[in-house]
Amino acid sequence: MEKTTKRIVKLTVNKEIHEVAINVNRTLLEVLREELALTGAKESCGQGVCGSCTVLLDGLPVRSCLLLAVEAEGRHITTIEGLSCGEKLHPLQDAFVEHHAIQCGFCSPGMILTASAFLEKNPSPTEDEIRRALSGNICRCTGYAKIIGAVKALVDSGR
Amino acid sequence: MRIQPFIYLEPKTLKEALIMLDENKEKLRIISGGTETVPLMKLRLIKPQYVMSLKRLSNLKGIREQNGKVIMGAATTLTEIIESPLMNSSFKGIVEAASSVAAPQIQNIATVAGNILQGTRCLFYNQSEVVRGGLEPCFKLKGHLCRAVQGAKRCFSVYQGDLAPILIAYKAKAKLERKGGGRTVAISELFSGNGKQPINIEGEEILTRIILPLPKNKKSGSSYQKLRMRGSIDYPLASAASVVYSDEKGSIMDVCVVIGAVGSSPKIVPITSLTKGEELSIEYIDNVAQAAYKVAETVNNQALPGLYRRKVIKVLTKRALNNCLRDIHGGR
Repeated sequence: MEKTTKRIVKLTVNKEIHEVAINVNRTLLEVLREELALTGAKESCGQGVCGSCTVLLDGLPVRSCLLLAVEAEGRHITTIEGLSCGEKLHPLQDAFVEHHAIQCGFCSPGMILTASAFLEKNPSPTEDEIRRALSGNICRCTGYAKIIGAVKALVDSGR
Repeated sequence: MRIQPFIYLEPKTLKEALIMLDENKEKLRIISGGTETVPLMKLRLIKPQYVMSLKRLSNLKGIREQNGKVIMGAATTLTEIIESPLMNSSFKGIVEAASSVAAPQIQNIATVAGNILQGTRCLFYNQSEVVRGGLEPCFKLKGHLCRAVQGAKRCFSVYQGDLAPILIAYKAKAKLERKGGGRTVAISELFSGNGKQPINIEGEEILTRIILPLPKNKKSGSSYQKLRMRGSIDYPLASAASVVYSDEKGSIMDVCVVIGAVGSSPKIVPITSLTKGEELSIEYIDNVAQAAYKVAETVNNQALPGLYRRKVIKVLTKRALNNCLRDIHGGR
């Protein structure tokens, strides 16, 4: 029977394995930002409402502020830093830039990761399906029209 | 907001988990998806000494059919329900309810048991420690007053789970296990109706699976209707779940309506039984809606006024029943 408050956790983030010694009460978001310096995922509400902390867990978008880092051990985590290929942006990131879907940029990592996971599952969605998929990500600049437009343009372009 | 320190337990088998639970009971909190537990820990509304993860117990996951029943593991995620062909073909209302929980990112990780066993909520209770610290504690915080209703003798916090009402309408059962034994109870029996202690299971028990009877030789219609502030995220402020069974010819055999978020537990609406061959007339549906209004118990402790939520219950009940009829009669 294992009883621990601190332990070494092996996290697979963006295909790299990281071993970090952490307290078990820390969320995945805290560990990504503070231990691994991956600050793409943002903390906003901290209560699982806004979606700005979204990361992919085994390819599915989840709120990293509601997930204990220890619970993510053994799973594949993808953050926004892992989506591009070095300097080459992911097609979704290109689409967001081209269609001015970024205003302050705070929600963008969550929006892009959620959209990328969704398009993996459903490469030719309708606008309604895109809206539902992104419904868990809040944009306080209220640039939703451009965000939906960017995803739709990418789908229409067939890239 | 940081979570306060705890000891993390990671059992590898259910037997081991039951022993840990038996040893620590109320000092221990089970975590599966964590979408309910983590916010409560962040707000310091719960301060468990031990947190027990179920992530290694793979036999608590998945949906399968067995002897005319559907067995759903307690750690099955809401997304697994939404995407399950079996659930979509036989339990449409449950899929509707699961799809209406929070947002897709939460559905990807939140589990059936976590959703069912969530506590009750109240605008005056679900606040940070700083806000609560400046106020005299209410009943739910082991005090002697209610902040929502002046002079009240009890807690009016609201049960806002989405799955329980529809599971009750489908007459689902829950398997509870403990060290050296177990019991199966109706989902409705999991709730005490007492806002202070809303969940009716013992400290050493763990919910391991949900059992749903598959309807035989009959057609069914079902629906889950929900009022919430934002269609993309919030808890229900009022909800109605209904299941209607008919024979193959479409004669109505059984009706069940359960309302949620209008009291400290889901409430089964008392319905006058139908005579053989009776249709669900507009008048009958109106009467059910009125009965739902009567059992709904709302006070001003949520984002919308209690009176409004109570009135909306009638609308949601009618919508749910009309949707059931549409399922059975096909687009009528």
